[in-house]
Amino acid sequence: MSTLDIGGSQLDTSWFLLLAAVLFTLGTVGVLVRRNPIVILICIELMLNAVNLTLVAFSRQLQNIEGQLFALMAMTVAAAEAVVGLAILVDIFRVRDVEDVDDLSELKG
Amino acid sequence: MTTSQQALLILLLPAAGAVLLAGRGWRLPRIVTQIVGPGVVWASFVLTLALFINKASGDFTYWTWIKSGSFVVPFNLLIDNLSIFMCLVITGVGGLIVTYSVGYMAHENDASYARFFTYMDVFIFSMLLLVLAGNFVFLIVGWGLVGLSSYFLIGFWYTRRSAVLAARKAFVMNVIGDVGMILGAFVLFVTYHQVTYAGVFAGIGHCRGGLLCLANDDVPLELAAFLLLVGAVAKSAQLPLHTWLPDAMEGPTPVSALIHAATMVTAGVYLIGRMHPIYDLAVYAHGAVAIIGVVTALVAATIALVQTDIKRVLAYSTMSQIGYMFLAVGIGAYSAGFFHLMSHAFFKALLFMAAGNVIHAMNDEQDMRKYGGLRGQLPMTSIAFLIGSLSLVGVIPFVGFFSKEQILGAAFSKPGDSLTLYLWGVGFVTALITGFYTGRMWWMSFAGKPSPDRPVEHPHEAPAVMLVPVLILAALATVGGLIQTRALGFGPQAVSDFLSSVVGAPRWEGGGAEIAATAVTMILAALLFVAAYRFYVVRSWKPWSAAVPWLQNLLTRKYYFDEIYNAAFVRPMDAVASIGLREIEQPLIDGALDATGEATEAGATTLSLTQSGYFRNYVLVFVAGAVIAVVLLLVRAG
Repeated sequence: MSTLDIGGSQLDTSWFLLLAAVLFTLGTVGVLVRRNPIVILICIELMLNAVNLTLVAFSRQLQNIEGQLFALMAMTVAAAEAVVGLAILVDIFRVRDVEDVDDLSELKG
Repeated sequence: MTTSQQALLILLLPAAGAVLLAGRGWRLPRIVTQIVGPGVVWASFVLTLALFINKASGDFTYWTWIKSGSFVVPFNLLIDNLSIFMCLVITGVGGLIVTYSVGYMAHENDASYARFFTYMDVFIFSMLLLVLAGNFVFLIVGWGLVGLSSYFLIGFWYTRRSAVLAARKAFVMNVIGDVGMILGAFVLFVTYHQVTYAGVFAGIGHCRGGLLCLANDDVPLELAAFLLLVGAVAKSAQLPLHTWLPDAMEGPTPVSALIHAATMVTAGVYLIGRMHPIYDLAVYAHGAVAIIGVVTALVAATIALVQTDIKRVLAYSTMSQIGYMFLAVGIGAYSAGFFHLMSHAFFKALLFMAAGNVIHAMNDEQDMRKYGGLRGQLPMTSIAFLIGSLSLVGVIPFVGFFSKEQILGAAFSKPGDSLTLYLWGVGFVTALITGFYTGRMWWMSFAGKPSPDRPVEHPHEAPAVMLVPVLILAALATVGGLIQTRALGFGPQAVSDFLSSVVGAPRWEGGGAEIAATAVTMILAALLFVAAYRFYVVRSWKPWSAAVPWLQNLLTRKYYFDEIYNAAFVRPMDAVASIGLREIEQPLIDGALDATGEATEAGATTLSLTQSGYFRNYVLVFVAGAVIAVVLLLVRAG
C-alpha cells in the first residue's frame, strides 16, 4: 500500500479511492431514486467527479501526468454534456408541464 | 426483302397490331382499331401470297434461344409448301373474318372493341407461330398460345357466367392436349437428342438413346405418335376430348368462325400432316387417328341432328368434318385431308358468318325454332347460307363435294387394307346424316312461315362490311373446288401437287368403283337434304324421333359425355379438393400460420413489459449489468 504526499502530510491512496467509491455510489443511488431531472443531472456530475478523483489519485501515486490530463478531458466532456442535457430539459419544461422524469414515459412498450 | 425477313414479318405483324391495340386501342379513335385490327392480318396475307408466288422455301434460323450442352433450341421458322398453305388459309380466311368483326362487334364500347381485335390479332399470331415453327419447342409455344387466345375469346363476354365456364372448360381440355404434346416432344428429344423437325426426322431409324430404344426406335415412335395424337385430339375437338367445342359457342360468332371452325381446331390435322414421317412408321397410332376421326364424325353428326341452337349445329358439324380430315390423314391421304381443311375453312367460316348475320338480325336469338321464313327477308344471307350448306352436304360443284368425296374415295379405294372399307362405311353413313341435319338447319331457319316466337318481325340484311366477306367466301365455296377435281377421276389436283413436296404425292389412285360410290353418296345426301323439308317445314312426314324416343333422348344429352365427365372427373376432384380444404388446408396450413402469428404476438406482448418507459428502470438495468460485469471480472481475477 503506497502513500501520497498531500501538503506535507502523508495519506494512504486507499482513502481517496474509498471517498471516490462513496461519491460514486451516492451519485448512482441519486440517479436511481430521485425524480427531479436537475437533481439527476447533478448526480451524474457527482459520479463523473468520483471517477475524476480516482484518476487524479492514481496519477499522483504513479507519478504519471496522463491521469490528470484524462481528468481534465472528462471535465470538458462533462461540461458539454451538462449543456446539452440542460438544454433538452429547458425545452421539455417549455412545451410540457413536467413535474418529474416519470412523466416522460411515452416510449413505454 | 429476303425470304427469311419476310417470314419473320408475316409472324410479327399481327403481334405488333395486338401490342398496339392492347396498349393504346381504347384511347385511340375507333377508326384506328378498325384499320389496324384487320389490316395487320391482310398485310400478313399479302406477304404470304408473295412467298406463295415466289415458290419460297427454306428453314431459317434467326437466333439460338436456349443452349445448354448438347441441348440447343434455335428460333427457326420453316417455310415450305405446307406452312405456306396453312398461312394462306389462316391469314386469308382470318382476314375476312376479322374484317367481318368490324361490323359484328360494332355494338361494343370502345374498350371492348379494341380488346376484341387485340385478342383476334394475338390469335392470328399464335396460329402463325404454330404453323411456321420449325422445332417442337416453338410448336408447343404456339400450340399453347392458340389455346390461351381461344380462352380469352370464348370468355370475351366475361360478365356472363356461362361464357366464363365455357372458357374454363375449353382451356382445361386444351391443357390436357398440351401435356400430351409436351410429353411427345420429350420422348422424341430423349430418343433423337434434337428438337428441330429437320433433326428429328433425319434421326428416325437411328436411336440415340433413352430407355425406350430397344432394337430399333419403333417403341418411342409409337409412343410419341400417340402422345402427339392426344394434343391433336384435344385441339381439334375429337372424341373423347371434344366436349369443350360446343360450349365454346358462347363466344362471339366471328370467334366461332375463326377459331372454332376455320383455323385453330384444324391444328390437329396440321400436326399429323407435319409429323407424317413419324405417323407413317407408327402404324398403330396412325390407325388410331383414322378410327378416332370416323367415330367422331359419326357421333358429332348424330348429335347435330337434335340440336336447336344454330351455332351448336355448326359446332357439331365442325367436329364431324374435322373427323373426316382425321380420317384422311389417318389413312395416309394427307393432301386430301388438307384440301378438306381448306375447303372446310371456306364453307364453315361462311356458314358461321352467315349464321352471325341471322343472329344479328334476330337480336341475338340463336334458337332455330324461333326463326323460319327468313329467305325473303335476308336474301343475300340465305343464299350464302345455302351455298355453305350444300358445300357441307357435299353437292357438286361446291367445294365441299370435291374435298369430302376425295377423302371418302381415298378410304374406299385404299389398297391392301380391309379396315379402311369399314371406315369408309362409317364415313358414308355420316355423309348421309350430314345431309339431313344440314337440310334441317337450312329449312328450319329460312323456309316456311315465320315462327310466332320470332323476336324480330321485319329483320334487316346485314351491313356491307358483314355481307361482303360472306359473299367472298360464298364465291370461294362455289368455285374453290375446281382447283382439285380428283374426286371425279379427272381434272386438276392443285392442292395435292402443291403439297406433294412435303407430304408426298397421293399414294394410290381410285378407280371406277370409287366414282360410283361418290355419286351414290352425293345423291343420297342431297336427297336427305331435301327430305328434311318434308320433316321440318311441311311436316307431312312424322318426325323420326317420335319412333325412337330413347335415341332422341340419348342424342339430346349428347351421349351423356358431360354427365360422365362430371361424375368421373369433376365431382371426384371437387370432393378431393373439399377434403383437402377441410382436412389439410384449414387445420394444418392455416393453423400453422395462425399459430405462428399468435406466438409472435404473445412473445412481443411479454417482452414489451420490459419497456416501462421509466428512466430509472433503464438506469437500474444498466447499473445492475455493470455490477454483474464487475463481479464476474473480480471472480475471474480472484
